[in-house]
Amino acid sequence: MPASQSVQRQLTLNEVSLNCDVRISSLNGPACDRLRDLGFCEQMQLRKISNGRNLVCTVCGAKMAISRELAEQVLVAPIR
Amino acid sequence: MSENPSIIALVGNPNSGKSTLFNALTGKNQKVGNYAGVTVEVKSGETYTPHGKKLQVLDLPGCYSLRADSGSPDEQIALNALTGKLEDLAKPDLVVCVVDASNLERHLQLVLQVIELGLPCVLALNMVDVAEKSGLRLDPAKISEELGIPVVPMQANASKGIIELKQALRFPFPHASEVSWLSKTGDIDTNRRAFIASLCELAARRPDSHQRNFTDKLDSILLHPFLGWVAFLAIMFTLFWAIFSFASIPMDYIDVSLGSFGAWVESLMPEGDLRSLLVNGVIGGVGGVLVFLPQILLLFFFIGLLESSGYMARGAFLMDHVMAKAGLSGKAFLPLFGSYACAIPGIMATRTIDSAKERLVTIFVAPWMSCSARLPVYFLIIPLLLHEKEGTWKQALVLFGIYTVGTLSAFIVARILRGKLGPDKVVTHFMLELPPYRKPQWSYIFRHVLDRGWSFVRKAGTIILGLSILLWALENYPKSDSKDSAEVLAHSALGRIGNVIEPVFKPLGFDGRTGTAILTTFAAREVLVSSLAIIFNVEEADDDVKTRSLIRAKMQTAKWPDGRPLFTPLSLISLLVFFIYALQCLPTTAVVARESGSWKWAAGQFAFMSGFAYLASLLVFQIGSLMGF
Repeated sequence: MPASQSVQRQLTLNEVSLNCDVRISSLNGPACDRLRDLGFCEQMQLRKISNGRNLVCTVCGAKMAISRELAEQVLVAPIR
Repeated sequence: MSENPSIIALVGNPNSGKSTLFNALTGKNQKVGNYAGVTVEVKSGETYTPHGKKLQVLDLPGCYSLRADSGSPDEQIALNALTGKLEDLAKPDLVVCVVDASNLERHLQLVLQVIELGLPCVLALNMVDVAEKSGLRLDPAKISEELGIPVVPMQANASKGIIELKQALRFPFPHASEVSWLSKTGDIDTNRRAFIASLCELAARRPDSHQRNFTDKLDSILLHPFLGWVAFLAIMFTLFWAIFSFASIPMDYIDVSLGSFGAWVESLMPEGDLRSLLVNGVIGGVGGVLVFLPQILLLFFFIGLLESSGYMARGAFLMDHVMAKAGLSGKAFLPLFGSYACAIPGIMATRTIDSAKERLVTIFVAPWMSCSARLPVYFLIIPLLLHEKEGTWKQALVLFGIYTVGTLSAFIVARILRGKLGPDKVVTHFMLELPPYRKPQWSYIFRHVLDRGWSFVRKAGTIILGLSILLWALENYPKSDSKDSAEVLAHSALGRIGNVIEPVFKPLGFDGRTGTAILTTFAAREVLVSSLAIIFNVEEADDDVKTRSLIRAKMQTAKWPDGRPLFTPLSLISLLVFFIYALQCLPTTAVVARESGSWKWAAGQFAFMSGFAYLASLLVFQIGSLMGF
């Protein structure tokens, strides 16, 4: 896939639909290190389970709740 | 080798099972929960190698990383313990990294950081049963080969793998592993992650499709925007209802036993000071407080159940929205909810809050969540206020109102204080792990409940016993020749103290006797019941429900010198308000000083809460009087 198309397909975790499996493509923001500590690392697969003031998603087999501000720093790409 | 035992440190992510393993190794009763941050300080115990050598085992607080700049006090403590920078603790000789096998990708990050410190390590691959159930294909031998450290698969909560782990702890300890991922060029974090990804691909492969498990199904209800709240409120209501209804049966037994014991002692001894001291001072004073033991045990039992099952974290998730109104996050819910049982563990649990200022605010307001020690006071006063016997739904409603007033006041003060303290230097956001639902670990819950119960009984046998004897002596000496009990009391030291302090308490609607009883509660608030029993000269009845009703009867008939009743509905409300707000617990003040790192903060909190209690009580009584109540 050309690089330009890949960039276009990037979404923030907030924009992902519920029960959708995605892969983390990059982290962008001041809380990157903390997110990585919690398992939100590049190339990790995750599924968004609930929306709201805080999101719930599964990553590496664990269920994590994170705020929308943090979710905005997680850039993901859908898994085909 | 030195004479001191070798030190083994247990390190791992929050909720990886360190405390369970610590208990299994040492036979101790460290508190175990199913949410992050149950261990909030370094705990120490002892175990033995298969060859009988003594080992000192440290249970470090759970942490996600060992970065010095993470800002989390727990992670700082863990890092300091591992690098030998903690006071009175040498650097560990061996580290047991405890990981949740079903979450290896996340947990290995910390393991790699521990190996990088150059410490010999053993990997305890915990919860292999959960990992296998989720379809994870684990290869412990391959993990051991790649990391260069011994790996022990185990299930600590079922004591499986403990013997194998002890075998791995035998002398000589394994050498520190080579750190192959550091030899590559590039960013260390990236290299670490790449190493973990390739290791998991080799030795911990996940099934390709996401499987909907029991936790997912239950969460679809318990985290639902509407049903989740219905379930949350139902659980909280059931909890409080159960505490007050189930406790009445054992309470009655304790009442009857104490009453019979008092009568038996009375029948054995001739009338005199010693009999009066034993029956009225000791049995009356301590017994009046001991009767509330069942309620306190039940409260700790239910909180233990919520923690152990994994629901507590869901509560924090749901409550984040509500806590935000007070300028706090959902993470403050766990410490504040725990404070309903006792503010001390609640305040210690604030270490899981990332924001330093939010943590301080939570510590500050935690004592306003009505703790279990206030229950004896509420149970004495509420029936008096409603002119009813104990245990009606109206009283439950008043009690609910008292909890609500305390909680709302705490939220308002938190909001104001959070605004005054300003934003944190490092912005923090809500992030919380929601652990899978697990069967409660009954043995630990019961041991924890018994521990807390014993601590309450010990307090009754020390502080409360001491104060009861002191009060009895103050009430009985110096002796008067008069036969009139009112004159005897007026002549006694207590009566004289009461006269001196009466002007301070009179604007609140209390006389010198009630004021004296309040003064005795500043070390421990539950002393009020025994203080009133002694001050109003209530004799121990056959059972304690009768004793409490006798105290109430005395309070109802107590009068001011001009003949007005001493306890009117307004003065009783004023007394309740005082007890909602006053910080009458010395151990809490000591823990606040330790946790906030400042005696000024603790002293400020004590002064503020005492002043606030006085003012609130004053306003209630004065405004109520002006309105004609």
